[in-house]
Amino acid sequence: MQLTRALAAFAIAAAAVSSSARASAQVVDFNTTHAVFYEQPTRTKMFVYTPGATIEASPWQWLDVRAGWEADVVSGASVSVKAGPAYQSTHPAADVVSTASVHDLRNVGRGGFTLKKENVKLTGGYAYSTENDYRSSSFNVTARTDAYEHNTQFELAYARNFDQVCDRVQSTDTSSSAPRLRALEDSKECFASSSALRTKRAVDIDSFQGSWTQAWTPTLATQLIYSAEILNGFQSNPYRSVIIGEGLKAQEHQPENRAREAIAARMNLYIRPLKAALRLGIRGYWDTWDVKSGALDADFEKHLGESFRVTLRGRVYKQSGAVFWSDDYTGGDKPLGPRGQYWTGDRELSPFYSFLVGVRGIYTLAPNKRILGVMTSFKLSLAGDMIAFHYDEYTLAGTPVGNARAYLGTLSVTALF
Amino acid sequence: MLRVRFLERATRLLLVLLAVVAASTLLACATVKPHERAALADPTMQFEGEPHENAALTHVIDNREGSAGATGVSGGGCGCN
Repeated sequence: MQLTRALAAFAIAAAAVSSSARASAQVVDFNTTHAVFYEQPTRTKMFVYTPGATIEASPWQWLDVRAGWEADVVSGASVSVKAGPAYQSTHPAADVVSTASVHDLRNVGRGGFTLKKENVKLTGGYAYSTENDYRSSSFNVTARTDAYEHNTQFELAYARNFDQVCDRVQSTDTSSSAPRLRALEDSKECFASSSALRTKRAVDIDSFQGSWTQAWTPTLATQLIYSAEILNGFQSNPYRSVIIGEGLKAQEHQPENRAREAIAARMNLYIRPLKAALRLGIRGYWDTWDVKSGALDADFEKHLGESFRVTLRGRVYKQSGAVFWSDDYTGGDKPLGPRGQYWTGDRELSPFYSFLVGVRGIYTLAPNKRILGVMTSFKLSLAGDMIAFHYDEYTLAGTPVGNARAYLGTLSVTALF
Repeated sequence: MLRVRFLERATRLLLVLLAVVAASTLLACATVKPHERAALADPTMQFEGEPHENAALTHVIDNREGSAGATGVSGGGCGCN
């Protein structure tokens, strides 16, 4: 119902802006994108439906304004208590791993503008999102300039997030034998000022990005991108516990500071005889948690007739684990005891590799006269991707994660008025 | 401590950017003329050709990997404006 109302509001806004824009032959761009994500690895599953809509208008030549909305409708089950093989081996009769059902709704509203003058573009934007257990407020600014007859572009961007995570109020009673870090049971009363059992933990994120895009020949262009990010605050999953000793589980405890850097190089080559483009990319990543990764991307996109084009894409990815990653924090020796200052049950911080294969089709209609009397062009995009993960160390109490495949389907419609 | 390290890295980045500007200045003689830009303006040659659909895929990848960043910016040698 909420979704229907939001889409209707966007349609009305699009029509209203379109009618005023047509009077001065300006452009309104409306897009709605719907994505479905699904995975069901061992003992867990996740289904996410992500609808979204954006509208962008150019009331004057020097100004673009845009607004958008997006949601994540999440349901599934995830690991709530993680244990390793050593602990399981000393408790063979028990199932030491637990899962819990997950239901959440994330809503994001965003707006922004771009000022344009000759070879320079300045963009500013703001986004606000809510979940049952997370609030995010962020702004971003971007400056871009063209040089050398538009063959070169430089872009610098900065974004700042002011986020808040819901957490459980932890006991400060040091004389008690109860664990001092207890996981959040559910999202009830999160962000309610009257709750005595819930608290808010801050997460501040500074993101920087710089890029250089260069056209070298009539059929070859490259892009070099560097990005950096500083995160400060609560970065653990508040719902997840890890068994760190004999009969002792504690809420996941990750460092509060993380600095991340990445550099990527991309190349687009147009192959005239095939009416197709080959796009290649490579990315290296490293951070202060000692996660290092590399990714290779390859896309091949070909025109099939005037209106249709198809893309085949692939990606290979490999990462090392975080310096504090362990599949079993009990150490494995009797008496079982915790080791290290930090512990996590996050499979994304374990060493693994993955590969992605995908296909996308795009149909574009741009006739000389307006479609249905209002649209100057119409584009429909349909894509499907599969990602397979291979975890080197992550297990559920010694049981390897099987069927670790994720599927993504995306439908996107864009209309120009 | 983290911010000091970051400032050091930012200084290094600035030097790299200066090197990039210098390199691009030297290479500017390899200019593609406006009448030669048909292929560069083709939708298949854009680095962020389908931003909405790309954003959905990037959202999934960022949530399932321990790394993120440098996933791309708009632009791509069209220079249509």
